Amino acid sequence: MTGPSERSSRTTRITRDSSRQHQELRDVRHQWAASREILAALGRAADNPGEVLDTVLEYAARLCGAQAVQLFLVDGDVFRVERVSGETPEDYRTYLLDNPIARSRSSTVGRAAEDMCTNQIADVLSDAEYGRHDLQKLTGFRTLLSTPMILQDEVVGVLSMWRTDVKPFDDRERELLEEFAAQGAIALRLESRGAELGSKVAQLEALRDVGDAVGSSLDPDEVLDRIVSNAVRLTGTDGGSIMEYDESDDSFQVRAAFGSSPDLVEQLRAVTIRRDSTLVGRAALAHRPLEVPDLAQAELDPHLEILFRDGWRSVLAVPMLRGDKMVGVLVIRRRSTGPFPPDMTELLQTFASQSALAIVNARLFGELQTKTKELEIASQHKSDFLASMSHELRTPLNAVIGFSEVLLDRMFGEINERQDEYLHDILNSGRHLLSLLNEILDLSKVEAGQMVLEPSTFGVGSALDYSLTMVRERATQHAITITVKVADGVDTVVADELRFKQVVLNLLSNAVKFTPDGGSVSVRAYPDGTDLVVTVADTGIGVPPEDQERIFESFQQGRRGAPKEEGTGLGLTLSRRIVGLFGGRMWLESTPGVGSTFGFSIADVLERTDEVASPEHGGLPVVVLVDDDRASLDLLSAYLDGSPTQVMRVRDGFEALELVRKVLPAAVVLEIELPQLDGWEVLAALKADPSTVAIPVIIASAVDDRPRGLALGADEYLRKPISRDELVDALRHVGLGLESS
Amino acid sequence: MTPRRILVVEDNPLNLKLVRDVLQFAGYDVIEAQSGEEGLRVAQQDPPDLVLMDLQLPGIDGTETLRRMREGSLGRDVPVVAVTAFAMAEDRERATLAGFDGFVEKPISVRELPGQVEAFMNRRAV
Repeated sequence: MTGPSERSSRTTRITRDSSRQHQELRDVRHQWAASREILAALGRAADNPGEVLDTVLEYAARLCGAQAVQLFLVDGDVFRVERVSGETPEDYRTYLLDNPIARSRSSTVGRAAEDMCTNQIADVLSDAEYGRHDLQKLTGFRTLLSTPMILQDEVVGVLSMWRTDVKPFDDRERELLEEFAAQGAIALRLESRGAELGSKVAQLEALRDVGDAVGSSLDPDEVLDRIVSNAVRLTGTDGGSIMEYDESDDSFQVRAAFGSSPDLVEQLRAVTIRRDSTLVGRAALAHRPLEVPDLAQAELDPHLEILFRDGWRSVLAVPMLRGDKMVGVLVIRRRSTGPFPPDMTELLQTFASQSALAIVNARLFGELQTKTKELEIASQHKSDFLASMSHELRTPLNAVIGFSEVLLDRMFGEINERQDEYLHDILNSGRHLLSLLNEILDLSKVEAGQMVLEPSTFGVGSALDYSLTMVRERATQHAITITVKVADGVDTVVADELRFKQVVLNLLSNAVKFTPDGGSVSVRAYPDGTDLVVTVADTGIGVPPEDQERIFESFQQGRRGAPKEEGTGLGLTLSRRIVGLFGGRMWLESTPGVGSTFGFSIADVLERTDEVASPEHGGLPVVVLVDDDRASLDLLSAYLDGSPTQVMRVRDGFEALELVRKVLPAAVVLEIELPQLDGWEVLAALKADPSTVAIPVIIASAVDDRPRGLALGADEYLRKPISRDELVDALRHVGLGLESS
Repeated sequence: MTPRRILVVEDNPLNLKLVRDVLQFAGYDVIEAQSGEEGLRVAQQDPPDLVLMDLQLPGIDGTETLRRMREGSLGRDVPVVAVTAFAMAEDRERATLAGFDGFVEKPISVRELPGQVEAFMNRRAV
């Protein structure tokens, strides 16, 4: 058996790993929701390519956390600014127009164009090669990120953004910008040449459909089916398939197909499409589309052989890339011969990039799920082990404790003073081991998510008194005074009484343990909104600031001087975890040499003392999201994913009013443009109703009328697109403290 | 009046000895069994006034032993008390569901055990 501290560090690691996994999972979801909202916005702006570009800039700025975004277009040898996001200073724009950017290493724009890939300068002031200090002085920007917009292997423009503080853009933000650049390139093409390939509306609608699929489905097969069918339909070709690259054997497998007979799909599945000897492989290696205009004239690899025999006459292979990583190849086929028009190839590259995103996301998601499951199983094994181990250890302890008591009770005759003393030592050591065992078992239950609370109604005062009786004897021995004060408004609560007493007893016995003789300990219980707060203050030696967090970790007693009696070192860890199950938190305020106050809260167990009805629901504050656009709802929900709130969603004004009146949420996030009853009417109705007047309302809309919103009683006004930080900040301002992560 | 007889079914010899000593000291007549099978045999030959039985036993466990005792000579009149591990809420629940008349928690308290046993016997007698 390993020592307790080793086991505990393993426990902590498992917990930490699994929380990192969850964070990654959440990031994937965020990005997903964001791409989806962009595509939806692009779809709405479909009739006007200029508007699409503006949307791209606006969203890029907001979702990547940049102060400003600019679109530069190739103009002979230089890059000239074409469009800017809303926050770009006007004098900077004018200056830029007169002083365009050269295609050289002296700027990120130039570098991105030259290298044909994204380029970042973390701090322009410490980049020796950087040469546009005139621009830097004008705006004060420090961190720059630029990505090229590429059409047919040629850089046609550059999307560039900046921050005035030194804070490099992370991988997620970089990927988002690349995504925007791809969308922008398509819009540019449409704007400059008009629709040459069917209707531009149809194109954007198809893209929107693909975007919807990428965003709404976790099933990659469904997404890929939609992509390949849209790609075939829109290009007016006859069939197609998506081949996924498998790194383990350096070959490609069919993932989705359209316009293909089951028999053909069967044959495609059976053949090994190697990277080094096939058209598909060559396109992948070359990182650019390759075509065979007439299969009858070409040398056929095994894959093309199958297609030719099935009656196909021309093939186009478009690589699916994610950054530099090969994800797969999109194959489009026709039953007739002839070259594929460049425009078609270009459009298919967008589909290929969406497919790559879908596959990468799905892989990541799958991996995370597997890892999460593995961690759960490991954690389950650990707690099974601890449960059986603690049973095995408890049985002999039973004898150690019991026989000591038998002898101490003089059941078999008198014993001398030293025997009495040693028997007490044996008994106390046995009891100490037993409480250690019980706490390890409890802790492993909490960590495995197996500790189930058993709520009942009990009086707070009498529970505190009970815990007090357990330490009274020790306190009296050391002349420590203990006082208990229960404030008005604290009466009975519904919670797990046993666990409540366990936590109070732990804090109380610590307080008594670390308070010098003649000191005092005071216990208070008071309401904080609907939360119950209990504090235990002592006049002990105190905890130095550097130990105040560490003390809650397993086996850390801090430097609180030599305790009068040994503790298990697990009590505070366990107490904090139990309080967490109560939906509350535990904290410590301490001044060395003066004393310590440990406090904990239990969420939502008291009646609200003021006139506003309780906003909590099932232990978590409810946030009602009102928006008729599902993509927006998904994005907002994704932002709140993992925060301690319960999210409820509605899609029209009437439903919104009905729901808010019923659940009395902690906050409402409201779009203005709604069917039935618009957001202004909903807001006015909520503010006219005494039962809902106090519920904070955050407007989250594309409509720009902040004064009207605030005049009607909204607490916050957010303009779409909205970043996660803006939403969380707004909720914090209206009193919902969400963890920032 | 003859001392009342308690059958203790417990597989761990040390714990069996401890419970025996404590109960004998409190004036009871104690019969010992180290498995469910042995407990059944003893109860069959000479029914006790109360059975104190560990839930976790080798071979047939405490719950199954109880079921067979009830079906056999013991009938429903003799109280059977489970010995369960502390902090094992599920054990307590199992014991109650299985039809035990009560439970005492392990580790047993030397000072409290005689009183607990006495209470179970009296409750049954009423």
